[in-house]
Amino acid sequence: GAAVTEELFPGFRFSVFSYVVSLLRPEVIRDLQLPRHGLDILPLDGTFTPLPKGSGPKGNGPRGKGPAAGGGDYLWRVNDHGRTIRELRRWSASDAEAYEEYGQLMVEMARFIKPILAITPPDITSLDPRPFLPLAGLARRFQHLPQRQQAVFVQLMTMSASEFLDQWFETDPLKATMAASGIIGTYQGVKSPGTAYVLLHHYMGEIDGAFRAWGIPKGGTGGVSNAIASAARALGAVIRTNAAVANVIVKGGRAIGVALESGEEIHADSILSSLDARRTFLGLVEPGTLEPSFEDEVRRFKFRGSSGKVNLAVDRLPDFSCLPGAGEHLRGAISFSPSIGDMETAYDDAKYGHFSRKPYIDMIIPTLVDPTLAPPGKHVISCFVQYAPYKLAPGLGTWDDQREAFGDAVVDRIAEFAPKFRDSILFRDVQTPLDIERTTGLTEGNIFQGELSLEQLFFNRPVPGYARFRTPLRDLWLCGSSTHPGGGIMGANGRIAALEVLRARGRKVA
Amino acid sequence: MAISGAKANHYDAIVIGGGHNGLVTAVYLGKAGLRTVVLERRETLGGAARTSEIAPGARVPTLAHTVGRLRPSVVRDLDLKRHGLSLVGPEVRAFAPGADGRAVVLWGDAAQTAEGLRARSATDADRYPAFDRLVRSLAGFLGDIAAQTPPEIESPGLGDALAGLKLGRTFRGLGRDDARTITRVLPMAVADFVAEWFESDGLQAAIAWRGVQYTAMGPWSAGTTAVMLGDSAGNDGGVAGQTVFARGGPGAFIAALEGAAREAGVEIRTGADVVSIASRDGRATGVVLAGGEELTARAVVAGIDPKQALTRLADPVAIGPSLLWRAGNIRTPGTVAKVNLVLAGTPVFPAADGDPRLLRGRILIAPGIEAMERAHDAAKYGRPSDNPIMEATIPSLADPSLVAGAAPGTQVMSVIVQSAPNHLREGTWEDAREPFGDLVVRTLDGYAPGLAELVTVRQVVTPVDLERDYGLTGGHPMHGEHGLDQFFLWRPLLGHARYRLALEGLYLAGAGAHPGGGITGQNGQNAAREIAADLGRRRR
Repeated sequence: GAAVTEELFPGFRFSVFSYVVSLLRPEVIRDLQLPRHGLDILPLDGTFTPLPKGSGPKGNGPRGKGPAAGGGDYLWRVNDHGRTIRELRRWSASDAEAYEEYGQLMVEMARFIKPILAITPPDITSLDPRPFLPLAGLARRFQHLPQRQQAVFVQLMTMSASEFLDQWFETDPLKATMAASGIIGTYQGVKSPGTAYVLLHHYMGEIDGAFRAWGIPKGGTGGVSNAIASAARALGAVIRTNAAVANVIVKGGRAIGVALESGEEIHADSILSSLDARRTFLGLVEPGTLEPSFEDEVRRFKFRGSSGKVNLAVDRLPDFSCLPGAGEHLRGAISFSPSIGDMETAYDDAKYGHFSRKPYIDMIIPTLVDPTLAPPGKHVISCFVQYAPYKLAPGLGTWDDQREAFGDAVVDRIAEFAPKFRDSILFRDVQTPLDIERTTGLTEGNIFQGELSLEQLFFNRPVPGYARFRTPLRDLWLCGSSTHPGGGIMGANGRIAALEVLRARGRKVA
Repeated sequence: MAISGAKANHYDAIVIGGGHNGLVTAVYLGKAGLRTVVLERRETLGGAARTSEIAPGARVPTLAHTVGRLRPSVVRDLDLKRHGLSLVGPEVRAFAPGADGRAVVLWGDAAQTAEGLRARSATDADRYPAFDRLVRSLAGFLGDIAAQTPPEIESPGLGDALAGLKLGRTFRGLGRDDARTITRVLPMAVADFVAEWFESDGLQAAIAWRGVQYTAMGPWSAGTTAVMLGDSAGNDGGVAGQTVFARGGPGAFIAALEGAAREAGVEIRTGADVVSIASRDGRATGVVLAGGEELTARAVVAGIDPKQALTRLADPVAIGPSLLWRAGNIRTPGTVAKVNLVLAGTPVFPAADGDPRLLRGRILIAPGIEAMERAHDAAKYGRPSDNPIMEATIPSLADPSLVAGAAPGTQVMSVIVQSAPNHLREGTWEDAREPFGDLVVRTLDGYAPGLAELVTVRQVVTPVDLERDYGLTGGHPMHGEHGLDQFFLWRPLLGHARYRLALEGLYLAGAGAHPGGGITGQNGQNAAREIAADLGRRRR
């Protein structure tokens, strides 16, 4: 799928689409024994935010030394808590203080919300109490939270990332960089209500204990897929590639198998679709098989891909004016998010059908932690870019017309902070939402198989009343990111779906 | 005259703020036999519900201009008709002229609206009645919720369990489809909601308007559908929304409330500026006035916004740092200004095609979803939009008494303008006031050529005026943003949504409480119910 490693340019291997492992569930890693099957996740340390010339600490912190003279400043957070606090103090004493408290609070919140990732959402109109029991447990735990934590939890579910962070912090680059995680993969801005929730995800990792939940798989994200495939084969699963499914075979209101484009038919007791809801129900199921009202609900499910990807092969590391040279700061995520204003303007462009002229970029240089990906001394660079709206304004033509212009906008944005960057580029691969859709089949290039907006979460994902992985067609199931709990390399959706199928078939649940 | 003696200054209930919700609460408490006083800082009652004479014989709704969301139960319970409240409801609810010179007209009667839409889009015309039915169903549910006190979640008792069941029943009452629909659409952007039903941009905007009005959000912001449905809750308008005037302007409604209050034995003091809420051992005991005068009571009721009550009036030590921090973070991003005009004649909107009825309702200047979003963009960055979106009324058409004393032909126009941020990135509202007034008139003139020449008097009320003169924190007319983060169980704050605020004996009755702002009287009615119950319990 979207977790693949390909040699796009001789000698350089890229995680073409998905590029970091964020939330791979520990229970999945454990149950499938993925490390034994070759999963090896290399940690990424810290987030480096380069800033434009003339920028510098506002707030009430003492002006620190560190940034190159006249080169503009930077904000650099690392896993070493103490160092991060010292860095923040350079910007604002009160922010440094708030950061500690905020971090603890978020960990509490993450610990509280985590069970949700393993719950099968109930149908809220159902009178059967059983599916509600897990929620009842959650409600009880909610009641036992201190009131302030209850309130903050509600805010996380409803507020914009920017306004949520305003309650603690004053340092603009800090807020912008933290808020960035709230808009990944969404067609929303940092000031859009509902973007605060994703801030939590960064803290989920922390509580998953020893295993590093944030990092890049050795050999690229293809490494994850290969490990899982190997685990599957070891358990006797058959994996067939180049086996495009043409449609689901339905007989007597039941799904009984699939027909391949080759014409071959494969029959089974259960059919699980990891495609998104639209492709499954409107693409693989004979029109007229499903209730028209259900098909309407599926059509209403919003995708609106908003991200692009630019993969680069370079002959030297980027050299930032604010912190010249090759240093540790390049080993983590490099976030082009100098201010909340920059982030929001990038969204404004996208709202009206233009890719961001000054996009938000999350840059990773995997070769610094995994040199095997490129020839010695050379590097691959992965740039996740927002925003790139799937539907362009009429004046702009198609993404095929805009692909290179978009690529240029990204390179230009980077060059603002690393002037000589352009000359280092040996090869450039630009993935627009249209390309993502064409190559991976993700509808409208949405990396989460459907927007993670409030109305498309939990018991509404993908369709109200059908959030329990079952579909209106008996024995046809969903197990992809279109289902709860949404996208990201998590494995949670597949796990819960599998458990539901096993339960339905009266098998003992592992 | 200074009242002396402890007894004279002791009440069952002190209501801070003589806005409509404060007065509604007071009348209910007075009728319950509780000794109640209303303290209003200004010389006049009514807060945001006022009528003012801005030219000899020409009276205009100072801020709010319609009262169509007023709960019938409040009108009935307080016998407001007998006290002089008289309502006028034109058959046209909203008239939205487009940039293309054509207009969308929303009538009280859905079928009539649908017919009017046919020329624009047959599909939209066919779908309108079904959408109207859906909105009435969902809004009806919200209306029932609005009349209930949000349930206790900390330590639910039997009563709360019953309330919970009631809530569940109300929810089931929606039926399976609508129940699923409401959980899906409440957090939605109103632009997405209307786009699921209609293709015509003009129609989408005319409906989406009520989803962004009074908020600092654009139609593409999540949760604006809840705002739109909330506005439909408790008014008979369905998709069209309400358009009901109080004869004599909102001030007449307040006069009726005042009459009811005096009859119920409620004491009313204007020019009484409360500077602090007194408390002892975590219990509110009374208030202190600017003059130093102290009043004591068993219940102190804030008709003002909760942020002010907690951060300005209450004792910080009694509130405690954690709650103080939360109260300080209540969002009040005011983005509304008001422009009132006296016109030498009735303006001519070509899009109205000479039909005089069309100007009697709300006139919406919101020519498309994108135009609305762009207006919001400007406000987002701290400047008024160059293309403001607005809701205008010409109340004197439906209620000539407003211009009875003025030259024949005179009309008054009341314009509520969105996307006017309280905090300007550059300059001050003092400097921006008149240019902003010019902009609004110029914009209206674009839809009604010649309107500018008709203007004889102009009054511009900026968000800063709303904050300074009306005590609305941040200039927010709703006492707190109508966002998903300040809704129902957590309006104004989680754990304080049951009209009891922070301290024992301190209550919130204003728009900052559930179900939020707008002239409904609902907050006051709900608060009074809870206060009377508590005081009754503690009667000795």
